[in-house]
Amino acid sequence: MVPVLLDIITTAAILYIVSSGLLLVFGVMKLINFAHGGLLTIGGYAAVIATALGLNPWIGIPLAAVFGGIVGFGMERVVVRSLYNRPLDAILATWGLSIIIGQAITLVFDRGVHFAEPPIRGVISILGEPYSTYRLVLTALALLLGLGLTAALRGTSLGLSTRAVIMNEDLARGLGINSGLVRSITFTLGSGLAAVAGALITPLSSVDPNMGVAWLISAFMLVLVSGSSLYSLAFASVVLGGAQVIVSNYFGSVLGGMTIAALAAVILRIRPQGFSYE
Amino acid sequence: MKMLMQKISVLLAVTALWTGAAVAEDKPIVLGFPLGLSGANSITAPAVIQATELAVSEINGAGGVLGRKLVIELADSASSAAGAQKAYDSLVYQKKVDVIISSEPSAARNAGLPIITRGKIPYIYTSFYEGGSCNKYQHINGWVPQQVVSLMVDYFMKDQSAKTFFLVGNDYAFGRGMLGYTNKYITEKGGKVLGEEYNPIDANDWTAIISKIRDANPDVIITSTAAGAPNVTFTKQFRAAGLTAKYGSYALDEGTAKTLGPDAEGIYLGGSYYTSIKSEKNAQFIKALNDKFGAEAKTPNELSVPQYDAIYSYALAVKKAGTTDTDAVVKALSEVTFDGPRGAVQMSKQRHAPLTMYLAQVNAQGDTTIIKSHPNVDPGEQCPNL
Amino acid sequence: MSDANVKELGSSSIQRLQVRPLTKVVFAASIVLIGVGAAPFFMDAYSVNVLVRSMIYAAMALSVDILWGYLGVLTFGQSAFFAAGAYATALVFTYGGFSPEYAFAAVLIGMAVAVALAGLVAFLAFWHGASALYASVITLVLPIVVTQLLFSGGTYTGSSSGLTGFDTIPLSTEAWFWAVGVWLVVLTTGAWMYTRSDAGRLLIAIRENEQRCKYLGLNTSKIKALVFLICAAIGAIAGWIYANYTMVVAPEIAGFTFGTELLIWVALGGRGTLFGPVIGTIIIDYASAHLQGDFPFVWKLVIGIVFVSVIVALPRGILPLVSNAANWLRGRTRKAQPEQYSQLQLCKAPRIERNIVVAGPALVVSGVEKRFGSLEVLSGIDFEATYGEIVSLVGPNGAGKTTLMTCIADGSKRSGGTISIGGQDIAHRPPEECVRLGVGRKFQMANVFDTLTVGECLQIARARLDPLSKWKKSGVCQLPPSALHVVRATGLHSDLDVPAQLLSHGKKQALELAMVLALEPKVILLDEPTAGLTKTERTLIGTILTELATTEQLCILLVEHDLDFVRDISSRVIVLHQGRIVLNGSVDEVVNSELVKTVYAGSGH
Repeated sequence: MVPVLLDIITTAAILYIVSSGLLLVFGVMKLINFAHGGLLTIGGYAAVIATALGLNPWIGIPLAAVFGGIVGFGMERVVVRSLYNRPLDAILATWGLSIIIGQAITLVFDRGVHFAEPPIRGVISILGEPYSTYRLVLTALALLLGLGLTAALRGTSLGLSTRAVIMNEDLARGLGINSGLVRSITFTLGSGLAAVAGALITPLSSVDPNMGVAWLISAFMLVLVSGSSLYSLAFASVVLGGAQVIVSNYFGSVLGGMTIAALAAVILRIRPQGFSYE
Repeated sequence: MKMLMQKISVLLAVTALWTGAAVAEDKPIVLGFPLGLSGANSITAPAVIQATELAVSEINGAGGVLGRKLVIELADSASSAAGAQKAYDSLVYQKKVDVIISSEPSAARNAGLPIITRGKIPYIYTSFYEGGSCNKYQHINGWVPQQVVSLMVDYFMKDQSAKTFFLVGNDYAFGRGMLGYTNKYITEKGGKVLGEEYNPIDANDWTAIISKIRDANPDVIITSTAAGAPNVTFTKQFRAAGLTAKYGSYALDEGTAKTLGPDAEGIYLGGSYYTSIKSEKNAQFIKALNDKFGAEAKTPNELSVPQYDAIYSYALAVKKAGTTDTDAVVKALSEVTFDGPRGAVQMSKQRHAPLTMYLAQVNAQGDTTIIKSHPNVDPGEQCPNL
Repeated sequence: MSDANVKELGSSSIQRLQVRPLTKVVFAASIVLIGVGAAPFFMDAYSVNVLVRSMIYAAMALSVDILWGYLGVLTFGQSAFFAAGAYATALVFTYGGFSPEYAFAAVLIGMAVAVALAGLVAFLAFWHGASALYASVITLVLPIVVTQLLFSGGTYTGSSSGLTGFDTIPLSTEAWFWAVGVWLVVLTTGAWMYTRSDAGRLLIAIRENEQRCKYLGLNTSKIKALVFLICAAIGAIAGWIYANYTMVVAPEIAGFTFGTELLIWVALGGRGTLFGPVIGTIIIDYASAHLQGDFPFVWKLVIGIVFVSVIVALPRGILPLVSNAANWLRGRTRKAQPEQYSQLQLCKAPRIERNIVVAGPALVVSGVEKRFGSLEVLSGIDFEATYGEIVSLVGPNGAGKTTLMTCIADGSKRSGGTISIGGQDIAHRPPEECVRLGVGRKFQMANVFDTLTVGECLQIARARLDPLSKWKKSGVCQLPPSALHVVRATGLHSDLDVPAQLLSHGKKQALELAMVLALEPKVILLDEPTAGLTKTERTLIGTILTELATTEQLCILLVEHDLDFVRDISSRVIVLHQGRIVLNGSVDEVVNSELVKTVYAGSGH
């Protein structure tokens, strides 16, 4: 029982980490960034580069943030900016960007699997059961990330502007908030977060040009049921991630693979606003 | 432009056939290689390409076959059935190759075989696989379950006194074929299989299966996961969970083991080729590879070396038959023996090859140490009707 | 919406106009068919082989274009229906062996499964109030679920490996080329005729402005679901052909990646152009078969870059660019000819026996409330209005006038109370059913179909009463006398071929009024019909409204800020303030009321 409980908690934490960048972009821009998968992949390769350079594996994480941020900033400037009024087209264009990222990575590295040194190895004993240390560290990181983002949104003036844009963009612009700048910063930040998530999952995932795509749909579904709230994202991660672990355990991993998508679709049918309480 | 050149060259060749047989002798022999340049097999593809180029350049360097040079035609099969169809179509009908040699997943091979049958050309399949694929144009020089399962299971049960097993695979023909056979074999030998679990190839989360392994607490897990990402994700997540069961794998290649770093250490591998095989032929092969590609040389593997063997087998068969005519070459392919890095290989047993099989273990440096070898292991009754 | 009651419209001049475009279509299709027939003799076996598959994909792209380009439903899940057809075929042949009967059964099973799946998706995605994004999300979930179901079939469905080695319809590659070519030409011709027909315009109307369609009494959810089911069936047939031709099925054909690839082809070809996606798919798939082997990664990279550029810079795709260039060149050599058959005949609709109960009130509103959370926008609204009456609703901004209109036109909107139209309770009926009861609503901002012509807007407004032709432009629009009167009086009859977005503000307002009147309503709700109009236009609208009330015995409910206008035409005035009725009386009573002055003064006007 304890391991299953730990599986649920750590799975939720991983999902939260993987989805938070997408949520930030969706919340502020009402725009779904299908390049999220590609950005995760960039983060994974940042970890590979850190390993190749012989750096401490933890350095891979800020490196990923920088790479993801730069790419995200560029994407917002060149492509995303012109699609704010066309949300469905934005999905397609960002999917195209994801293809471009994947192919560019393939050309630079090859299509093979790459090695990234994990920051932590081994297991620790929880109530007599050995459990992966890294998964537990990820849980702590997810908590830190959630608290950090919340604090940033509440405590900084940029956060205030961002929240104003989330609530009512027209009004915010009327109050003199440069919503274009807020969007640009948000997209850069969201992309950086996505890449950080990519670097963080390398010890659990293979690092290859398609590594991010597998996470995209789950992250997308979680964000849709969460609206624009970091709290509801945490809640959704626990509920849907937990459901996935339980279904996989008792009904087979094939059904587990579609649990998040199917459950999210049903939740949205019953409650279009999902878990957000607006 | 390239197309045009090809058309012109085909045209010239046809004219040559009319004008005189002596000129026709110089027409190159075209070898078609459908290969997973993208998709799951793309991980091992670079090594396969190098082995192919090495074999062809060696043969051409020695004067070719029947005075004719060999030419390579590659086509991306995307490691999938649909991609294989495109690739085989292109090789058979567009490039008009004389033979197809391929090391693809079973689904891709099955998709390609009808095209081989329609195109009536010799076909050599060079991948280890789940067994039982029969076609009158096909020869196979990779291993089948009968050759590797007993080697691995016997080692665990006798040498390591293991009693309980847990089998994990990807849900595809090879995964199910290998583990199904393994399960039967373990039970016959008095061992106990605690679980047999499959994950779809595109799944990246093994949490539930690892949780079941943890609950079952077996002595040994044996995996038949797909090349590339599935091998890696499973191994990483299994190691991260801190489970202590011994780990045997049918599908992990040495190159991928290197990218796993310390996570791969201690994994037992079963197959017909490892770089650590101590033989003169293997040493020559590795030296030739390093001479030709230098720093770019990829670790040869269980797909690339049989590919190398197959090209030589084909060259020998053409020489023996004295022609590239399909029926004669197919007949000769069962009769010729090539002594290569894996030892002597002859596809004489119902189109399959008795092979020297090895059990190896990944060591701390990421290389393999050979633990056991069995010469001349019989592939069993694969195609009784051929 | 059945064909059975399409009215025969038979004046000879109209017939003559129709023959020519139809002949043209048949002529063009025949030429393409001859091309298809001849092609295999001029191409190498490999190209023929590749093109068969390209044409199957083109049929898929066509169905995606109908959904996305015309109907506006961005679908990621068309691949699932393709897989339904392909897997039905593979399973039937693998476990039953090949026979012509089984082949026929397989296509039926495939279509049945696809239609059932599509029905489920439609049920989830196209309910009243579902957003376009939600619909897309459901179509995204579909291929994921279907892929996992195929995996869970284990050895039965071949799981990740798929199924191979089954016998199928024994045709040569050339025969397949001809069969698929003919099918594609027929399908494209059919789709072309449908999308160019009156009913096809309706798809565009739904894409442009679904809300307006609902308020024109059209059950858009049902129409969307129907088109979605048909496209699912087309997908299943394509899948059936694919499995028969390639003798291989694998789970990737069900996947989200293939679904998205279809979107890429459609976007590159030009969404909403039919030919663009068909030609685009054939070119891209054919080219990738030839180029991918040589440059596998660069090719995909190029496709990715072109795709993103097209989405950003050329949302209509590449084909329109090509055809614009062609038109431009043609325009230089010879003067562009006006469209041949765009002339639309307006005629008077036969009077429908509507069982008008002229006795009794037309509209009864009692105890209506509307709350948004704890905020009470309307409370205790009680009033009646009779036929032939013009009732004006006045009050400061935020008094709840537009909300009240919405509650009358959409039964699902109010929080409490009852409303009845012509004696019938509207209960919780959605807008399209309220229209059936006799409510017509004109919005504050002129709400028409921008890219459609004036004539097409009017035809769509009539679609509820006169079913639209599904295969041609009927060239006729029957309007009731009231609508006809508005069209003539405002000069719209000479603008029938002008796209609505090019009309002046006043004419747009008039067009929307005519569209509402075309519904033959008993009660019409007009939200600021004179806002932004010139003095002359305002007087004209005023006269028309008074005439309508007297001659047609319409009950008109009007929201208006212009008190002079109100005074001129109203028979009664209701004053709303902070969600309550503060006064309900004659024009004079209201105009002279101190209360009204305070209300307006208090709100800062």
